[in-house]
Amino acid sequence: MKQLFNYRISICSNYLRLPLIAFLLSMSIQVKAQEKSLVAISHQSGAPAAMKMSELRSVLMGEKQRWKNGSRVIIALMKTSTSIGKTTSERIYDMTGDELNKFWLALVFQGKAQAPNFFNSVTELENFVAQNPGAIGVLNKSANDSDIKDILIDGQKMF
Amino acid sequence: MSRLSFFTFLFFCSIISLHTIGQSTQIKGFVDVNGSFGKDKASFSLGEQDLFITSTINDRVSFLGETVFKYTPSTPTEFSVSVERIIINYNIKGNHNLIVGKVHTPVNYWNDTYHHGRVFFPTIDRPLLFSENIIPLHSIGAGFQGNNLGKLKFGYNAFVGNSMGEHLGMNMSNYKSLTLAAYIKPTRKMKIGVSWYHDVLAKGSQVHGKTLDWKVTQNLISLSIANFGKKFEFLAEGTAGFNKTDTTGQKTTLASYVYAGYKIKEKIIPYVRFDNIKYQEGEIYYHTNNMSKLVAGIRYQLNYLAVVKLEYQYQHSEMMSDANNIIAQFAIGF
Repeated sequence: MKQLFNYRISICSNYLRLPLIAFLLSMSIQVKAQEKSLVAISHQSGAPAAMKMSELRSVLMGEKQRWKNGSRVIIALMKTSTSIGKTTSERIYDMTGDELNKFWLALVFQGKAQAPNFFNSVTELENFVAQNPGAIGVLNKSANDSDIKDILIDGQKMF
Repeated sequence: MSRLSFFTFLFFCSIISLHTIGQSTQIKGFVDVNGSFGKDKASFSLGEQDLFITSTINDRVSFLGETVFKYTPSTPTEFSVSVERIIINYNIKGNHNLIVGKVHTPVNYWNDTYHHGRVFFPTIDRPLLFSENIIPLHSIGAGFQGNNLGKLKFGYNAFVGNSMGEHLGMNMSNYKSLTLAAYIKPTRKMKIGVSWYHDVLAKGSQVHGKTLDWKVTQNLISLSIANFGKKFEFLAEGTAGFNKTDTTGQKTTLASYVYAGYKIKEKIIPYVRFDNIKYQEGEIYYHTNNMSKLVAGIRYQLNYLAVVKLEYQYQHSEMMSDANNIIAQFAIGF
C-alpha cells in the first residue's frame, strides 16, 4: 500500500515536473527578454522625440555636442557593472563593458568629449535626466516622470 | 568684530559652495613602470606619472590639464614637473570649438590621441618620429577645432601658435607656427587624417638643446590611417619634413611607421611596428642619423585601467651600433 502511494506520488511529481520546468524556462526567457530590451529617455528639453538607431549611437558615442535647441548633450548611462549597463554596451556600442569604459576614458583624455554620467541605480539615472535639460539616457523601461520623455528609436519605443 | 568675521566667513563659504555646484571637476592619472634587458644588463625604470584634470566650468567652457612628473637625472631631486597640456575650450556652436592654451600639436593621430597615457599606447614607446623630434610635440596658442561633422564625420583643426624656435611660454619673435589638420571617419573604427604644419625658426633659436645658426623655414606634411577594429588593429603614419635655409636650400626628411596588432583573445594582442627615418644629405635642422626600428610584442589588457606589455626592440642606425632590447611595461590608469 505504501509502495503504491509512493508510486502515485512519483507519477504525480513527474506530471508536475514538466509544466514546472516549462514555466521556469519561460520565466527565464522573459527575464532575458526584459534585459535585452532598452528604452532611450531624455529630458523634455533637448533631444528630439524620434531618432534613428545610428543617430542614437552617434549621440551616445559623444559625437554630438549640442541639440538643435542649443542645449548641451549630457549623456547618462547605467554603470557597465549593472545588467542594463552591460546590455547598453553590447547593443548600442557593440563593446564589452571594459571596452566602453576605455573608449570613454580615451575620448575624455583626448579632450574630444565630456565624460558621461554613470549611475548605479535606475532611480538615480531618472532623477539626473529629469533635472538636466539636454540629458539623454538609456534604461530598460520608460521613466515615470513628467520631466522625462521616451525617444522613439527607428519608430519603436523599445529596441 | 568676531560676528563680522563670522558672517564674512559664511559669505565666502557660500561663494565657494556656489562655485563648487556650478562646475564639475575630475582628476585622473596614469603611471607606468618598466623593466628592460639589453647588452647583458637588466634594469628597472619609472616612466611618467601623468596627472590629468578635466573640469566643466559652465555650459560652454571646459578645461583640460595634463601635468607630468618624470625622472630627470639632471635635477637635484632627479624628478621634474612638465606641464604638457593646458586647454581652455569654448564651445562656439554645435561641434565647433575655440581652443586656447598649450596643446599637443594635432599633426598626426598618435600625438592627438595617446598623449601621455601609456595605458592607451599600443606599444611601449612612441614611434621614432617623436623621439627624433621630427614633429613638434607642443604648440601654445589658439585655434579652432570641429569634430564629427556630416556623414563622413569630418573633423578639422586650425591652430596658430608660438614658433618652435622660441620658448613655449613666450614668443620673442614675430614668427608663428600654423597647423592645419583635417580627418574623416569612413567607418566607426577607421580614421584618415592629413595635416600641414608651417613654422619659421629664427637664427639663434634654441631648439631641442641646440642653437640654430641659421633661420629655418619648416613645412611638415603628415598622413595618417588608423583602424582599430574588433580584432585587427592598424596604424600607419608618415611625415615629410621640408626644412629650408638660405645656405642649404630645401632638404627633405621622410619619417614613417606602421603598426599592426591582432586580438587573438579578448585581452591578448600580439603586435609589430616598423619605423623608418631617412634624411636628405645636407639637412642641418634635424640630427641626421638615418635609422630604422623593429618592435614585436604582446599586450595583455588586464582591464581598461591596467595593461602589461612585453616587447622586443631592434634598432639600427647609421651613427650607433645596433641595439637589441627586451622591455616589459606595466601601465595603469587611476
